[in-house]
Amino acid sequence: MTKPQLHIDIVKRLGTFSLQIELSVRPEILVLFGPSGSGKTQTLQAIAGLMTPDSGTIALNDTLFFQRRPALPLINVPARKRCIGYVFQQYALFPHLTVLENVAYPMAGQRDAHQRALTLLERIRLPHLAHRMPHQLSGGQQQRVAIARALATNPRVLLFDESFSALDRAIRDQLHADIRTLQAEEQLIVLYVTHNLDDAFAIGHRLAIIRNGHVEQVATLDDVFVHPANRRVLDILGIPNIIHTRVIESSTARLLLDWDGLMLESMPLDCPPGSEVTACIRPEDIRVLYPDRPVSHVVQHNYLDGTIVERRPGRHMHRLRVALSDRHVVEIDHPTRTYTNLPLPPGAAVKLALRKESIIVIPSRHDRQGHTSHQHYDPKPHSNPTYQHVHHEHNAS
Amino acid sequence: MNWPAFWLSLQVTAIATIAILIFGLAAALLLTRVRLPGLILIETIILLPLVLPPSVLGYYLLLLLGRGSPLVEWFNVRLLFTVPAAVIAATITGLPLMVQSTRAALSAVDPVLENAARTLGSSEIEILWRITIPLARRGILAGLILGGARALGEFGATLMVTGNIPGRTQTLPVAIYDAVQSQRYADAHLMVLVMTSLAFVGLFWVRRLEPPPQQYRAATTRTEEVYDEATASH
Repeated sequence: MTKPQLHIDIVKRLGTFSLQIELSVRPEILVLFGPSGSGKTQTLQAIAGLMTPDSGTIALNDTLFFQRRPALPLINVPARKRCIGYVFQQYALFPHLTVLENVAYPMAGQRDAHQRALTLLERIRLPHLAHRMPHQLSGGQQQRVAIARALATNPRVLLFDESFSALDRAIRDQLHADIRTLQAEEQLIVLYVTHNLDDAFAIGHRLAIIRNGHVEQVATLDDVFVHPANRRVLDILGIPNIIHTRVIESSTARLLLDWDGLMLESMPLDCPPGSEVTACIRPEDIRVLYPDRPVSHVVQHNYLDGTIVERRPGRHMHRLRVALSDRHVVEIDHPTRTYTNLPLPPGAAVKLALRKESIIVIPSRHDRQGHTSHQHYDPKPHSNPTYQHVHHEHNAS
Repeated sequence: MNWPAFWLSLQVTAIATIAILIFGLAAALLLTRVRLPGLILIETIILLPLVLPPSVLGYYLLLLLGRGSPLVEWFNVRLLFTVPAAVIAATITGLPLMVQSTRAALSAVDPVLENAARTLGSSEIEILWRITIPLARRGILAGLILGGARALGEFGATLMVTGNIPGRTQTLPVAIYDAVQSQRYADAHLMVLVMTSLAFVGLFWVRRLEPPPQQYRAATTRTEEVYDEATASH
């Protein structure tokens, strides 16, 4: 018996916008992350049966929910028979029913409905509110009731559509923890839509980056920053310090890049000398060196000289903007609290160091080619050496 | 006081109100739920009695019920100058008010709630019965009362199609007209008072039923309690 899987492969045209999504979800929490209007909600609606795609397949294990393909019979299981839990952003509790009646709603006509609804309310720690009306509850409480109600149908799949975006940070953290526990206990397939990267990291196992109706990349949370699939993913993740370089030397030991006169050494990668590559450097990977200390052996490469242009204080990190000798400006995240504070006023000269690993080379061919989502699902990751970095996601988790 | 007219008016209004409920709800559902190109025409026709002079309505009803109409010629149903003719006139004049109010109430129900019910296993009929109509009930009831009050007060078209036969087809508003015509003012005073009281009570109810704005939306949060606070009390 293979593990349960939800498989989606759909196309839907909505005016000039076209949605073309292919995803496979295991019992895990897959975060659909992307800017507003990228098609995340429509994807959930298609899975739940609230929206009918133009063509494609949606299947849970061996059960086809939807199928519209040439020469195959049309299948479209109505939403009420799919048994998929859907938690809406606006809570969507029935305002004319009490909390208990809301949770018991899907079990109408069953003899032990109220008892089971109470059990579900105990599970979300709200049995004392059973006889309140929804409007008497706080947002966080309402959303927990909505989760209990979604669970009342015994779903194998739970969908969260920006469900917690209106809630305070502390409440959101608690709900994220609850859902992680729930998912692990019941081995649920969970899809969680958000446009907030912090939320994505707080709850998800894997991240599906969606832009303009397409899946740009599916990767574990660790992997997505180390091996972004293409330039668009960088933009969506908001990674600054995107640099355009030319390959000077490519050996098994290293890749030497020329960034408008600055030589940068990065991890070996199969790029022919002379080719142009795009890379990015995460702001937290650039070290500001203490002038009076020996340099650790892990940062023996890539010394840079710069001048601080701007320093913006942050809660955990200061964001520094530093002009380098080639006149490019890089953004650096420097820890707010260190054992020895380094004075970093604007105008000060600083020495920087970069690990070889922190220069992330983006396979630039993705940028020029038209996008097809299949590239990222290629089961044979090493068919093209350029994608080697990108396809680590398949081995992960 | 013309008691036969009073009781007849009550009967006519009762039956007309039931008809208004059934046809009005059906029409409002059709107008909000079904997307058809010609629907706006049907809606306009249903609302026409609001603005047409009663005599025009009465004229149409004469055409519909009188000699030469299919009803008489093909089915031999003769309703002219009978109580059912008064019911039909009352229903047609009351219907637009019911349809307008019900329609507004139905479309004010948040579609997210209906979608939620779909994912919770409800069929469309069940959603209508358990979610949409309960949430729209104030608007539906207000429309019904308005329509019923309008049916009770129907005068012009009724006069034309019932023939104003005292004791048989004469309703209260027509009886008032009759009393004034024959200068029986004491009679008219009392009947006017009764009519005014009934209308007042009806409208008073409607005002009380009219929901505050946002009544039908999914419940939204006013204050956000801290999560731990909420659970600590348990």
